Amino acid sequence: MGNCGLHPGAWWLWSLALGTAATRTTNPLLLALLIATSAYVVAACRPDTPWARSYTAFVRLALAVLLVRLAFAAALGSPLPGTHVIVTLPELPLPHWAQGIRLGGKVTVETLLHAAYDGLRLATLLICVGAANSLANPARLLKSLPGALYEMGVAVVVALTYAPNLIADVQRLRAARRLRGRPDRGIRGLLHVGLPVLEGALERSVALAAAMDARGYGRTADVPPRVRRTTTALTLGGLLGVCAGTYGLLTAEGGTYGLPVLLAGLTAALAGLRLGGRRTPRTRYRPDRWDARAWLVAGSGAAVAALLALAAARDPAALHPGVVPLVAPTLPLWPAAAVLLGLLPAFVSPAPRSPAPKEPS
Amino acid sequence: MIRFENVSVTYDGATEPTVQGVDFEVPEGELVLLAGPSGVGKSTVLGAVSGLVPHFTGGTLRGRVTVAGRDTRTHKPRELADVVGTVGQDPLSHFVTDTVEDELAYGMESLGLAPDVMRRRVEETLDLLGLAGLRDRSIATLSGGQQQRVAIGSVLTPHPRVLVLDEPTSALDPAAAEEVLAVLQRLVHDLGTTVLMAEHRLERVIQYADRIALLPSPGAAPLLGTPAEIMAVSPVYPPVVDLGRLAGWSPLPLTVRDARRRAADLRQQLEGRDDNALKGRGAVVDLRLPPRDRDQSKTPTHRRWFPRRRTPATPTTSHTAEVQALAVTRDRVRALRGIDLTVTPGETIAVMGRNGAGKSTLLNTLVGLVAPTTGSVTVGGAEPHRTPPRDLVRRVGLVPQEPRDLLYADTVAAECAAADADAGAAPGACRALVSELLPGIADDAHPRDLSEGQRLTLALAVVLTARPPLLLLDEPTRGLDYAAKARLVALLRDLAAQGHAIVLATHDVELAAELAHRVILLAEGEVIADGPTAEVVVSSPSFAPQVTKILAPQRWLTVAEVREALA
Amino acid sequence: MTGDSTPQARAVRLGPRSLTALVLVSAVGVAALGRPFLSPPTAQASAHAQDAPWFFTCLLLLLVAVVGATISESGLGPKAVAMLGVLAATGAALRPLGAGTAGIEPMFFLMVLSGRVLGPGFGFVLGAVTMFASALLTGGVGPWMPFQMLSMGWFTMGAGLLPGPDRLRGRGELLLLAGYGFLAAFAYGLVMNLQGWPYFTPGSSPLAPDPHAGPLANLARFAAYHLATSLGWDLGRAIVTVVLAVTLGPAILKALRRATRRAAFESPVTFDAPTG
Repeated sequence: MGNCGLHPGAWWLWSLALGTAATRTTNPLLLALLIATSAYVVAACRPDTPWARSYTAFVRLALAVLLVRLAFAAALGSPLPGTHVIVTLPELPLPHWAQGIRLGGKVTVETLLHAAYDGLRLATLLICVGAANSLANPARLLKSLPGALYEMGVAVVVALTYAPNLIADVQRLRAARRLRGRPDRGIRGLLHVGLPVLEGALERSVALAAAMDARGYGRTADVPPRVRRTTTALTLGGLLGVCAGTYGLLTAEGGTYGLPVLLAGLTAALAGLRLGGRRTPRTRYRPDRWDARAWLVAGSGAAVAALLALAAARDPAALHPGVVPLVAPTLPLWPAAAVLLGLLPAFVSPAPRSPAPKEPS
Repeated sequence: MIRFENVSVTYDGATEPTVQGVDFEVPEGELVLLAGPSGVGKSTVLGAVSGLVPHFTGGTLRGRVTVAGRDTRTHKPRELADVVGTVGQDPLSHFVTDTVEDELAYGMESLGLAPDVMRRRVEETLDLLGLAGLRDRSIATLSGGQQQRVAIGSVLTPHPRVLVLDEPTSALDPAAAEEVLAVLQRLVHDLGTTVLMAEHRLERVIQYADRIALLPSPGAAPLLGTPAEIMAVSPVYPPVVDLGRLAGWSPLPLTVRDARRRAADLRQQLEGRDDNALKGRGAVVDLRLPPRDRDQSKTPTHRRWFPRRRTPATPTTSHTAEVQALAVTRDRVRALRGIDLTVTPGETIAVMGRNGAGKSTLLNTLVGLVAPTTGSVTVGGAEPHRTPPRDLVRRVGLVPQEPRDLLYADTVAAECAAADADAGAAPGACRALVSELLPGIADDAHPRDLSEGQRLTLALAVVLTARPPLLLLDEPTRGLDYAAKARLVALLRDLAAQGHAIVLATHDVELAAELAHRVILLAEGEVIADGPTAEVVVSSPSFAPQVTKILAPQRWLTVAEVREALA
Repeated sequence: MTGDSTPQARAVRLGPRSLTALVLVSAVGVAALGRPFLSPPTAQASAHAQDAPWFFTCLLLLLVAVVGATISESGLGPKAVAMLGVLAATGAALRPLGAGTAGIEPMFFLMVLSGRVLGPGFGFVLGAVTMFASALLTGGVGPWMPFQMLSMGWFTMGAGLLPGPDRLRGRGELLLLAGYGFLAAFAYGLVMNLQGWPYFTPGSSPLAPDPHAGPLANLARFAAYHLATSLGWDLGRAIVTVVLAVTLGPAILKALRRATRRAAFESPVTFDAPTG
């Protein structure tokens, strides 16, 4: 957890790029390769910290998503014209308002396979997000928040610092119930301890606020009225633009202007956000530097995403293997090689060389 | 540097000002101690320097406070942050981030210092406070003394010219307090920082003070003077001053060294009367002696706290508690090993030692919060960790370090009713105890709004409602002023006289000297000394009370003993 | 229990600028959630139905940041920030308690009570910050997070907007909060499902949104999806919220009000000239 770690933003960009790559394909072999890539990098680079365990949690969640999709496909069928029937479930009649949804009926290989491909894509995406969660240090991520979000950032830092204390308080108070002659186990004990813990926490918050005030929290720089007015105009105007753009995207008529207006509005709003940061005179102590390694890590992810997008445009058939008629998916060579680019962080990242003992399940 | 001009503060909703007539000046580079009993408004005076009073707390400030030329009316606390550094009593509620280095930088970040300046000052401060080895550590894993030093360091990095400290050593053991005070002295001597500090434990800090501002009673104007002048009239004073007043020394000695130089006559006068010297030799016999009663004269208006109430007899064994070959291992750390201990009715034992020596673990084992890894513990004939809580409270009671942990209800009355129900006592038993121990606690007061001393008394009453023959107290004098401490001593003596066995884990050598029949020293989970108080503390430089140090080689423990002998 | 006359604290005041920003961003949020029903098949959002959810997730993340900055600017004092941090930590610590046990999310109830005591502005920020902090704490940052922040913010703010914030106390207040908590728990589940539903690729299942079907048909599909995936879960959450609000509510409300009194958010600060 030293300061020499990689910029957390680089990990997020890398993971999200891998996730974007996953959305370009339903080829299970390519998706499996993406999962393997992220798993290898996580195993090689993740630090020995509590949040590093979240990768496993995300893998479990992804598995759950996949299973739910399969269960839906089995129970509800799909519009696909499948011919290979595995089993026919008894069909339940549904009322008219169900609008053509049926329960039960034929379960075909095509249906299941299609659901599995689709579910696997979402699962891969979740696993990539999980990789970012376990690789990037959340506290350092907060340090990179823009100045305009400083106050919110402090609130989150306080929450992150205080939550472990809170759990220790609960354990201590629960044990102390024994001293009053009350059982110290069970859900009742937990409930009764809740109130004193909350009261202690609130008292602590007042003391903390005093300390923060006396240490210079909330000092503001002199912002000229002109800048302040510009900030307001940019923010609100930008948000209006985003609203108009969204409306355009959602209506048939707005097809042409929707996206440009939305993006222009977003840019204005973000410029307002950046300008708003002028009001805090705050500086940063030892910020994470965006160095060459960060470029390499983020770049490798971006390359994977770009190459897969290109491949999807050039050769859609290879990246979207058909289910009707049934064909076995094949591994397209060039896209697969592109996915392997995502392994680069495992070799350039300065994170611990000794991989964590636990392998992701 | 700090200038009070006829200041009074009235909080919102209060009819009377909390402090008034505050009118003094603290020159640059001085260490001024703010002394006085609990509840006289010391924290209010400190808060007025940093601007927290009244900007943060609300209320009305009459008069004017200026710090380094800045008027607190026009400067909010955040605008004074670069000239005043404030450290409160509980360092944990001072920290915003979770690692030492980030915490040191936090204040400078808020002030907008340049990154290279911040980097340099963090390194300087790490060296100045001896924190370099801890820079990457999570603050929650540090000891109390280390945390307090980090708290001081975190306000030092913006290079304030004034440091305001509210009881910086009250919660610390003697060694950690020394660490913190050494740092403060270095700041005053080397950097010319002005320090204004409130502290209950005068024996620790008085020798560092250039001057003392005394708030004698609530609403009274403060007195300012040299430590010797103020101590001659102060209602709060350390044992060395008490002895000096008894012997009529003038000017009053403030340190053990001063007092020793004057004490030749007194030693001569007391020659041959130190019966502790005699008692010390018969160590084993002494353990079963009835409680000393020669100290009782200290409380002339003495009355029985628990008339006609006898501790339920424990028929099976004459020992209240017995510990054999006890070892406790927690998180792969050996907290205790090879402990043998018997506690007999009416005996008061002080368990002493560094932080982390295993004092609290020993008490927790006796009350069943921690199960022994090997060895056996029996309390009143039962194994505490296997006894259901309802039965256990009738055999042993523990008042934890933080008495708040025992209190759940939102009024004193509800707390007492719950205690009666928990202990199976007659309704009203707990409330009667509270009224006896400390009159003046209102029924509808919120337990969290009570003062430290009142809260301790309430927790003690809650524990005593079940009338346990064995009473355990973990650091009972934390945050208590001298008056509250004296009340506690009288109370515990009376309980011991009725046959309650009492075990205290404490850093407070003066408390141990006044109260304990026997002292057990722990180090790294092992017993390194066990014997009568006089014997153990006299031979230990860090655990000897001030009177013992002054009158050595004679064996006196407390001023009360000396007073008695001279009478 | 005697009535506690502490008026609702307005720990965070929303100025006209913050309110406008909040309303605009909420509108985009609603549009993003309602997209499958609102947009005709010819619209761009329907043409790229597969990528639309991702696009809106990223957009909302940025917009929530913009709202946060606007509210920060109009004044988040140290007292509000410290209390936000501590309450968010409490909420975040309560969240894993319920993970995996059918909708037992005690956090929801704490949010409703806090919103009631500390006012709508604080409520919105608290809801959003709590979801963000708990995502960081548990390593659960995912595409659902911007929607969680926004909708938790709405519901906590809603609790602050309930009638009689300064007068209604006692049983009436408790029933009001329990009722609101019940509905909000369902609504929150609905929002989260609306967020997750579009990830179903159109055409893969009869439950998936179909850009070519009418809004009514899509509504039926969504209702079936909602019923199948999470209705039981939401019911559990709603019941837990009601039970906790009725049993622990009075004590927690009291503790929160006591804390706001001590924090003296709005107590007057005055200086008098020195007298004689």
